[in-house]
Amino acid sequence: MTLLNPRVSRILGWAALAALAVLAVFGLWVAPPDRVQSDAQRLMYLHVPSAWIAYLAFGITAMASALYLWRRTRSPVWDRLAASSAELGVLFTGLTLVLGSLWGRPVWGVWWAWDARLVTTAVLFFLYVGYLALRRVPAPIEARAKRSAIAALVAFADVPIVHFSVDWWRTLHQQATVFTPSLNAHIHGVMAFTLWWGVVAFTILFVYLLDRRYRLEALEEDLEARELTLAIEERVQGAGLTAPPEHVEVGARG
Amino acid sequence: MRFAEYVIGGWALTAGALAAYWLRLGARIRRAERLNRDA
Repeated sequence: MTLLNPRVSRILGWAALAALAVLAVFGLWVAPPDRVQSDAQRLMYLHVPSAWIAYLAFGITAMASALYLWRRTRSPVWDRLAASSAELGVLFTGLTLVLGSLWGRPVWGVWWAWDARLVTTAVLFFLYVGYLALRRVPAPIEARAKRSAIAALVAFADVPIVHFSVDWWRTLHQQATVFTPSLNAHIHGVMAFTLWWGVVAFTILFVYLLDRRYRLEALEEDLEARELTLAIEERVQGAGLTAPPEHVEVGARG
Repeated sequence: MRFAEYVIGGWALTAGALAAYWLRLGARIRRAERLNRDA
């Protein structure tokens, strides 16, 4: 019922905690302030890794959804993985938006701008909130899985739009610094190290949380199946109790 | 530190959100395990 061996999961949890502690030390103290943005730059050590995890999470959701829809690979495992990853994606997209807003206030002078990157990211957030809401609509597990998988694939179309929005339109948001085709960040030294460390730390945390969330999804599915079986049994028993006695002929006249 | 209220606020908010999610996830798992055992 889990993706990982419980021991591996525990180790990952501790590794994530340690990596995040190191990130805090580097991000808040060791890395120097930026020449232009000053200390506001320190928010980038969280904002960029959060955005990376949002991409990763929605990518996993889309891949798992496609594997569920394809008959040859259809398995409840993919549906659970898609649901688990989408919830984490929403969490990290929310963090990306809030951290970006907190950074934007001192650097841009505004909390929010109707900028292509910001708007498409907000749309992404609401698309996947909608996906999670759709999963909560009561339905047989298979029907829910199918329609959720289709919704996830439709929602994923926004991910490349978010990523390339800074190239396709003139935006206030800067162009890609880290996730360029060459992955050659245009920053150096301790700042680059801290940023990459943040990406690694958040990735470890994501894998750990994904495993935990998958376990919850599997447990809830089991419970749902049991409750359904119980409800059917009760219905059958109830029907038996209220059924007309066998000797009464329906429609018979005296 | 310049813009300390934004920087510290952002880091604290992230730590709080992640910790709250992790704690809530743990509570949801324990509840589901208990309900599965009782069923």
